Amino acid sequence: MDRGYTLAELLAVEASRYVRDDEMNFVGIGTGGQSWIMAVGMPTVAVSLAQHKHAPNATLMIGPVLDPLLDDEYVPDANWEYDLIYWPCRSQIPLEDALGIFRLGKVGLSFASAAQVDIYGNLNIGRIGTKDNMKVRLPGCLAQTDHGAYAKRICVTVRHNKRTLVEHVDFISCAGNENRKGLPGGGPALVLTDKAVMDFDENTGKMRLKSIHQGVTLTDVIENTGFDLIIPERVPRTEPPTSEELKLIRLIIDPKGKFLEARITQEAANLN
Amino acid sequence: MENYTIEEMLAVEVSRHIHNDEMSFVGVGTGGKAYIRAVGIPAVASRLAQLSHAPDSMIMFGPIIDPVLDSDSIPETNNEYDLIHWPCRSQTTVYDSHVVFKAGRMGVGFVSGAQVDQYGNINIVCIGDYNKPKVRLPGSLAQPDHLAYAKRVFAIIKHDKRTLVEHVDYISGCGNEHREGLKGGGLALVFTELAVMDFNDSGKMRLKSMHPGVSLQNVIDNTGFALDIPEHVMTTEPPSEEQLKLIRERIDPKRKWLNANITQEPTTLTN
Amino acid sequence: MLERKSKQHSVRDAVALIKDGDKVAIGGSLIRRAPMALVREIVRQKKKDLTLYSWSGGMDYDLLIGAGCVKEAWSSYCGLFQFGMAMNFRRGVESGQVRFVDLSETCAKDKFRAAAFGNTYCISKVPLHTSIMENPEFQNIVTCPFTGEEYVAMEAYHPDVAILHAHRADKYGNVQFDPIRMMDNECDILIAKSAKKVIVSVEEIVNESVVVQNPTWTMLPKIFIDAVVEIPFGAHPNSCDALYDFDLEHGRMYRDYSKTPEKFLEYLNEFVYSCLEHESYIDKCGGTAALKKLCRPAKEKNDG
Repeated sequence: MDRGYTLAELLAVEASRYVRDDEMNFVGIGTGGQSWIMAVGMPTVAVSLAQHKHAPNATLMIGPVLDPLLDDEYVPDANWEYDLIYWPCRSQIPLEDALGIFRLGKVGLSFASAAQVDIYGNLNIGRIGTKDNMKVRLPGCLAQTDHGAYAKRICVTVRHNKRTLVEHVDFISCAGNENRKGLPGGGPALVLTDKAVMDFDENTGKMRLKSIHQGVTLTDVIENTGFDLIIPERVPRTEPPTSEELKLIRLIIDPKGKFLEARITQEAANLN
Repeated sequence: MENYTIEEMLAVEVSRHIHNDEMSFVGVGTGGKAYIRAVGIPAVASRLAQLSHAPDSMIMFGPIIDPVLDSDSIPETNNEYDLIHWPCRSQTTVYDSHVVFKAGRMGVGFVSGAQVDQYGNINIVCIGDYNKPKVRLPGSLAQPDHLAYAKRVFAIIKHDKRTLVEHVDYISGCGNEHREGLKGGGLALVFTELAVMDFNDSGKMRLKSMHPGVSLQNVIDNTGFALDIPEHVMTTEPPSEEQLKLIRERIDPKRKWLNANITQEPTTLTN
Repeated sequence: MLERKSKQHSVRDAVALIKDGDKVAIGGSLIRRAPMALVREIVRQKKKDLTLYSWSGGMDYDLLIGAGCVKEAWSSYCGLFQFGMAMNFRRGVESGQVRFVDLSETCAKDKFRAAAFGNTYCISKVPLHTSIMENPEFQNIVTCPFTGEEYVAMEAYHPDVAILHAHRADKYGNVQFDPIRMMDNECDILIAKSAKKVIVSVEEIVNESVVVQNPTWTMLPKIFIDAVVEIPFGAHPNSCDALYDFDLEHGRMYRDYSKTPEKFLEYLNEFVYSCLEHESYIDKCGGTAALKKLCRPAKEKNDG
């Protein structure tokens, strides 16, 4: 269905609304394809968009590259090592110090993705299956656990299906809202999928439907969620991007689709 | 036998105790005699060791690691600019240089002190009561770190009753009395203008050798506690002609180290 | 696009962020790269009852103690190094007017680092069996749950304000240090990260495009900084790495004036209270031309 905007654009605009002025926001690594767009491409555009709109002092952190210039003319065409090292930015510091920024409570929104997300927003990039009966060994915790402990808010972007949205994750690589005793960070705040936007109930910490994208039905959402999503009485449509926002994305921020179509990885993809 | 100065004597004696493949730490010194004891003598001793039995040994001057010790590479002064540009193999952050201690890789820590007691505790913090000192000294610097971690610590100090005391007024460098939990070897050798001392099995300071021309009475009269005196005390071996030649022609021809000329206020230990 | 926030302030406004009774951490070491212009402004604004933290103190501590701003101070050292002894510090501690807490170099660094790592305390063996443990802050022993070894627990430093001097910054607060520098000053980075507010004086405020050319020099990105102030020769009479050396003449004069409290007041009147702007201090020191004698040309380090 042609809505006049792509899914990636919709999610980037939605995420940008949660970027606050004067906060640093973390984007991790991604290999390629759709997972790259969800983990890296879309969040980068979200932050850049926020900088243009309401949050000029917001910054982005991509590993040890801090506060890169995000206008298209500065973004490299490829993501080879050389390109990343020379991508104009205000600061490059040792990784230990970059991750240390989390512990100092200075990371606002941390973008994450996962193989599994459960009703409390626990994330899993460790394994599918139990320790003794492992079905798939996944890459490992990376810095996701640090995010979960310290970031003010986490924005999770995943595919909306029963395999991903599960009752209980098989391994907690990033702490959700189930048990946060002793953890300074705020935990998951937002979940973006190809069907909907979810947040978390303040009292129970359980995932709650916030809005449904244009062209998606409530049944669609429920049937593809592996747990009992909290459904409020009234569920609005996910607010579509304004023409202003689309212009910013298409003309200034990502005219060549380096991010929303993963062209910087040299293997174009899209979320649709 | 050629005449040698006390600074040369001490540099040669110290160099004998430097092992190959070890890192030695040389600290700061302000100026004057204190500089010669804390910096000048260790620097020359280290270079002498490199040129004789310990070619792989190195020194560390704070964050300046393994500087080139050829006399023409030694800076003219110890101004900031000269220190920064002194050719060396590595400059790291000061706290990374501390890791050398904590990771147990410091061979010899060179220290000096206002007071050293019979157990080898060292004091560079205060004379008198800590809470109301007669003289407040600059502070402990990295001395506690040296004595906690270095494999061996060498002290080069003045031999008089004010320095060699029964009990120090403040322990900035932990001696041999209590070392539970500390990884380093502690104070091993004390070098003065009269003698060399080590420590007996009870951890108390013991006379090891007296320099040529120094009498036992001389040593006893200038020590503020009962030094353990073995039956037979050796005479410190004087520098050989070869060693003197190395020092005077190759290592320190301009006496930047042994007479503190690098500080622009030259002096000697004897005047 | 909305205008981004500028963090550039005047010396007066920046130092006004410091309140009486604050815990103030000061960068630099010995007579190197302490933010002396900011320190003089603290004295001019007559701040009181400060607690000072540093890795290694020097003229910064001595001046503040001599001017009556300090209640308590912690460091591994307080002296004027090549300039001589820090007499105000000595008088202050010997008279009981200032409480000085001694700790070793690694302990001081560890306490800043603990805070920079987001921890409330750290452990060390270094104070064991030394008089560092005389102070109650170093008397808590903790046992390693893996090996049973004992350590002294040291609380992380949590200064209200950190003041430092650096080479350059843009107005947004991205602070840079040149690669050729005295690595003894590196604790400044940990100090900045431990503090609630950070004020940095810099030799030069530059356009952001200059910063972007060498991002690995931006050791303190703007998220750590609250105020930047342009103060050329802002570390004088301390050295500022390879940019200018310490001013031996001025340092010795300072030492001579410090011999008695009365004479020291003369120094304060001449060089601090009557110099309301940094420029007048520079003039008193002989002007920029005279201070340029402390500078030597940049060198390519590896031309051997």
